Amino acid sequence: MTAQRWVRVRQIVQYLFLALFLYLFILTVKDRWSPLPVDLFYRLDLLGAISASLAGRTIPTKLLWALITLAATLILGRVWCGWVCPLGTLLDLFRFRRAAFHSRHSWRQVKYFLLFVVLISALFANLTLLILDPITVLTRTLATVVMPALNYAFITVEFWLYGFGPLQAPLVWLDTALRSTILPVEQSFYQLNVLFALLFVGIVSLNLLAERFWCRYLCPLGALLGLLSKVSWLRRVVGPGCNQCRRCGGDCTMGTIEPERGFASDPGECIVCLACLGTCPQEGVTFKGQLGLAEWRSYDPSRRQLLASLATSVGGLALLRTSPIARHEHPYAVRPPGARENDLLAKCIRCGKCMKVCPTSGLQPSLSESGLEGLWTPVLVSRLGYCDYSCNACGQVCPSEAIPPLTLEEKRQTVIGLAYIDQNRCIPWADNVDCIVCEEMCPVPDKAVKLDKVEVLNAQGEWVVVKRPRVLRDLCIGCGICEYACPLNGEAAIRVYVPNEFDYGELA
Amino acid sequence: MRAISRREFVKSLVALGATTLGVGGLLAQAACGPGPGKEGELVRKPSSGPAADQAYLAAARGGSPAEITRRAVAALGGIERFVHSGDDVIIKPNICVAYHTYQYAATTNPEVVATLVSLCLGAGAKKVRVMDYPFGGSADAAYERSGIAQAVTAAGGQMEQMAKMKYQKVPIPDGRDLKEWPVYQDVLEADVFINVPIAKDHDLARLSLGMKNLLGVVLDRSKYHRNLGQRLADLTSLVYPTLTVVDAVRILVDHGPTGGSLEDVKQMDTVIASHDPVAADSYAATLFGLAGADITYVKAAAQMGLGEMDLSSLKIEEVQA
Repeated sequence: MTAQRWVRVRQIVQYLFLALFLYLFILTVKDRWSPLPVDLFYRLDLLGAISASLAGRTIPTKLLWALITLAATLILGRVWCGWVCPLGTLLDLFRFRRAAFHSRHSWRQVKYFLLFVVLISALFANLTLLILDPITVLTRTLATVVMPALNYAFITVEFWLYGFGPLQAPLVWLDTALRSTILPVEQSFYQLNVLFALLFVGIVSLNLLAERFWCRYLCPLGALLGLLSKVSWLRRVVGPGCNQCRRCGGDCTMGTIEPERGFASDPGECIVCLACLGTCPQEGVTFKGQLGLAEWRSYDPSRRQLLASLATSVGGLALLRTSPIARHEHPYAVRPPGARENDLLAKCIRCGKCMKVCPTSGLQPSLSESGLEGLWTPVLVSRLGYCDYSCNACGQVCPSEAIPPLTLEEKRQTVIGLAYIDQNRCIPWADNVDCIVCEEMCPVPDKAVKLDKVEVLNAQGEWVVVKRPRVLRDLCIGCGICEYACPLNGEAAIRVYVPNEFDYGELA
Repeated sequence: MRAISRREFVKSLVALGATTLGVGGLLAQAACGPGPGKEGELVRKPSSGPAADQAYLAAARGGSPAEITRRAVAALGGIERFVHSGDDVIIKPNICVAYHTYQYAATTNPEVVATLVSLCLGAGAKKVRVMDYPFGGSADAAYERSGIAQAVTAAGGQMEQMAKMKYQKVPIPDGRDLKEWPVYQDVLEADVFINVPIAKDHDLARLSLGMKNLLGVVLDRSKYHRNLGQRLADLTSLVYPTLTVVDAVRILVDHGPTGGSLEDVKQMDTVIASHDPVAADSYAATLFGLAGADITYVKAAAQMGLGEMDLSSLKIEEVQA
């Protein structure tokens, strides 16, 4: 095969993996059949696998797939970055003409620093910085930014066009076709969506400074694979054919080909994109098998850097764990079913799959609810979406089993929170008018919300009988459909709080 | 790919905009002509009362759900009294949640629904669509969990997911409390609309019967609960069903409308049918030891003249299968 053709093949492979990633993302829907595991990219994500195993003190079986990536990297180098990673492919698509930035090799160490902070923190059962894992970045952005906005735009256009009679039939057809496949049934609303959009735009905009800025300088997964590539078998070799025409240096996506070093490159930085192979007019570049450790560069990890990341991890964690949130739980830190008892913070790799699969989009990225340490881990925000009594999807898609794979029966028995009524605002309590929506919605067979008939004096001075809701704490599972459906505007008059430790059955 | 210049880009943008506006304008004009169902008018002819040999209301008991459904409809004069060749039929069961199978009596019996589908198709209906808008879980999941999807498909009917855009705000000319509300357009436009509730407990309405089941065809339901009785009667005046078939094969006597415990389910093996939604609900209330007058919406609908609440003067045929 000619060099140009190799470059083409690599591009096609990239697009196929990107397409596969999007396809599996779209298939991440409750009860949807998928030919491949929907969390395939997470299973292959070596950084996620290693840190989740370190932090959780156990190796989740699903994550053993990452051994494939390990093997591929040891043989071929950072092919994950150049051929597979969907974020890398997207960054390749956003190639700006004028990258004004001259390769600053010293910046490359930032990603190693981040990598060590991630791994050392994982040893201390913390996974916060996995928010920087490229697969989590992309999933989070797609789930909380792109899909809701796309759906909103689609609905808006659809409603407008629906006013034109002849378009109704095809629109309904289109809506039915998309609604059951790509778009969600109900419009979703995600907190922090603007922030995630800005972050993503920021990552892409860094390409203005240098191609694949993210992959060169920041990506902790790239750093891990880069370190492994220091001993990888396949290496780029500059042969005697080279006549120093400098073309490859200008074309190198990672900026690792250095003219002053005889156009050699660092296997830790090379993502095997093969651009140099395609561009070389002299057949001066080849990729060959070699054994041994590649040259250690000034930006590669040093003992000093390791100590600095150790200090950062330990110091940072000490700070996080002495902040008030560590003393008392946030009242609304309601977790997905079973996750509370399952040491969620030490297992959640921040992948965002649960938020994508949640059919009501009740699972939201947390900000204040779990403090900085639990940044963007899932919390149930019932006002935005309830925990569907007929659904156990989050536990099924969670790649690290931070949300345990409960059966539907087990999930229905799992208490994730407790509902409390705000008697100052609840319609029957505050205004002496019947409402009962919370009781009607309650899915628990014996109804955790009971209605008491009481005779009260209303605002007009008349004696009336109203049904006032009361929550039976030993029956409530905290699904939040009462809070979701409460007809008051703004904050609901019934809210789900984190569960308490004591046994309500004994109190009753 | 060749990069396009700014001039070209602006040009094509203008062209695209002009085309969209032009085509849109033409379509808008075409749509302004008098079409069926404009302004949410009921196109459906109200079903006429029974002939001399037909029952006003029928209650069949004792056999399989399919058999008693057939017997009840037959006593009214057969499905042909309501469905004609080429009709577009919508059947509205109660599929309120995706939680339990039909044995828990939170959702309508699938056999009752499927039998009605077969009857309508047998009478020459062009198509028979079955739909509801669940409040707990997605429609897909609820259709399947209830068993209704499988039964209806096997009988030749279609399950329809109710599309949000088909809910159009329409005036309710006879409404006493509500003057307008978003209502599912197809329900207003269908030739035949058959309401197939399951009779069950409901704390605000006392019982969830036929008229309560109509809540599935409106949006903003939690806001609908204020003055629910009158509002349900108002809604009935707008979407007046051709035929009401109350599924009381199993009734849910407590913890409705969602249920979940078989201890709250009572086997009644009864199906009630009538063209009069008020009479159907009034009769169904007796299964719970109540009367129509105990149910606010039945009373309100009777006061509006939408049907008969007083069963004593009606020709009621009770069939034992």
